[in-house]
Amino acid sequence: MFGKVLVANRGEIAVRIIRALREMKIPSVAVFSDADRGALHVRLADEAEHIGPSPSADSYLRVDRILEAAKKHGAEAIHPGYGFLSENAEFAAACAEAGIVFIGPSADSIRRLGSKTAARILAKQAGAPVVPGSEEPATEIETARALARKIGYPVLLKAAAGGGGKGVRRVNAESELASAIRDASSEAERAFHNGEIYIEMLLEKPRHIEIQIAGDHHGNLVHLGERECSLQRRHQKIVEECPSPFVQKHPGVRAAMGEAALKIARAAGYSNLGTVEFLTDSRGNFFFLEVNTRLQVEHPVTELVTGYDLVQLQLRIAAGEALPFAQKDVAWRGWAMECRVCAEDPDNQFFPSAGRIDQLREPSGPGVRLDSGVYPGWTVPLEYDSLLAKLVTWGPDRNTAIQRLQRALNEYAITGVETNIAFFQEILGDREFRAGNISTEFVADFLARRGPPEPSPKLDAAVALAALAHSRNVRRGATDASKVETSRWLAEGRGQLLR
Amino acid sequence: MKWQVAVDGRTIEIDSEQLGAVRQVEPGVYSVLLDGASHEVRLIETSQGLSAEVGGRRFAVEVRDPRDTSRGSRASLGSGRQNVAAPMPGKVVRVLVNVGDSVDVGQGLIVVEAMKMQNEMKATRPGRVIEVRAGAGETVGAGDTLLILE
Repeated sequence: MFGKVLVANRGEIAVRIIRALREMKIPSVAVFSDADRGALHVRLADEAEHIGPSPSADSYLRVDRILEAAKKHGAEAIHPGYGFLSENAEFAAACAEAGIVFIGPSADSIRRLGSKTAARILAKQAGAPVVPGSEEPATEIETARALARKIGYPVLLKAAAGGGGKGVRRVNAESELASAIRDASSEAERAFHNGEIYIEMLLEKPRHIEIQIAGDHHGNLVHLGERECSLQRRHQKIVEECPSPFVQKHPGVRAAMGEAALKIARAAGYSNLGTVEFLTDSRGNFFFLEVNTRLQVEHPVTELVTGYDLVQLQLRIAAGEALPFAQKDVAWRGWAMECRVCAEDPDNQFFPSAGRIDQLREPSGPGVRLDSGVYPGWTVPLEYDSLLAKLVTWGPDRNTAIQRLQRALNEYAITGVETNIAFFQEILGDREFRAGNISTEFVADFLARRGPPEPSPKLDAAVALAALAHSRNVRRGATDASKVETSRWLAEGRGQLLR
Repeated sequence: MKWQVAVDGRTIEIDSEQLGAVRQVEPGVYSVLLDGASHEVRLIETSQGLSAEVGGRRFAVEVRDPRDTSRGSRASLGSGRQNVAAPMPGKVVRVLVNVGDSVDVGQGLIVVEAMKMQNEMKATRPGRVIEVRAGAGETVGAGDTLLILE
């Protein structure tokens, strides 16, 4: 096993990886930008190195600085997390050249699967079903117009190098095509330094279901079942679960989808962890979407249901160990569900909300797991993704997992930034959601049909009373931590002295 | 003494004797026991005034001083000019309208990038663009006026 590992990421995922390393008694090296000097991952790591100014292009995306930091600290391997350099083949190749192990698939596998168009071709050749669409980039408007006509509107534009919803646009009619391509291409250029766009058929109300795969360097390749990630806003997932309610209704789908995912992985010579994403239609058909050649944000739901620690598994595979289990050993127990708690305002188009976290009360108790990257007093930087934490619960069945999630969300309090916590409460209480009737359009449909929250006279009275007490405290200067009246004796004593 | 507190615009009358039901348990966090029910209310000072949070729900609150007679003096903007302001610091990617353009509800006005997301700000009511104060590539702060509609 490695003597030391550098974590080339930030936020909750850097914390998650540092935790795995500490459990394995492997010293960790954090890297940080100017904005992240006081970040939780820096506080928790054994060692830390500054790698540049706040913009990620000058820090978390700087291959040279990260490799320099690894050499300086004597790290033998680098875990890239997700986002940033995690799906960058040049980075994986540069690590290999520097004699440092990249914890992920080979640069060659990333190249073959990283571009969505290349991955589509590979999937088709491997015999997996694909969504009809362009095999070549269609950034040129004339090419795009012809292609979109052939596929038929509505179509979906996607960044060829993309992920995380960047550079994705729905186009309903030809009149919207030119401006949508311009927007998607410039967003893709900014996010991935590659403005290439391709076009595919848009499935109506599809479900997003993905298969977790794991392969070692000894020819073993298994799948760990599916995750359903249909709830998305701005093409980014916000609620994920394992198993999928769809797979529960169509029990053959897990094995069929798993087999399709393994075919693609085999064709790409894949090792380490990866995720093969599919879309399903209402008839139970599924189509290959893309491969994420890295650890997923939503990996905890698979961990809770299968019992495997996926980050530790990545480290063991990268160190050359064989998979410690075979396909027949993989079993799924109970149900897990995750909410991505973000600093954003659901009532204002999910606009990101940066600021200082003022108060924080984190949930705990039975069946609750919280992977968080923040603490009270931490200022959420503007420069990065708005994900604050992932709240995950486990239960013997879907209903119990949801009830635990509702309870945990009720305990969760964050002030200082807007969050989507209350929005999750609304969704989890929704009848359609409870029935498992979800699709990638669920959030948009829900926003359209949801009414304003019911006013409650009792809640209004409680809020009014607290506000009045607070404004009187403010006038008296009694809102500091030191002045909270924790004890009547202290309060009385203070009164005596003042007398 | 009788106090009035506006909660999301709904006026609640409170007698100061009722304050016995409230206890500050942490800085800015109040436990309220009302008719046997236990509530926890977090109060936050924001640029728009006082805000309360209960179970993830946000409320805009305004405590009115009973001695202040100028209540309701806050002039509403009515149907005149509307300032379109940046909701948070970011960078202007593109301005989609010109001075003099008529705009409809839902029409894109300006694209601002913040936290790696491009956000198109849309018109919330029909009108005419009378001033554009921000240009592409410009860095803007929270609350900065980007353009003005009439």
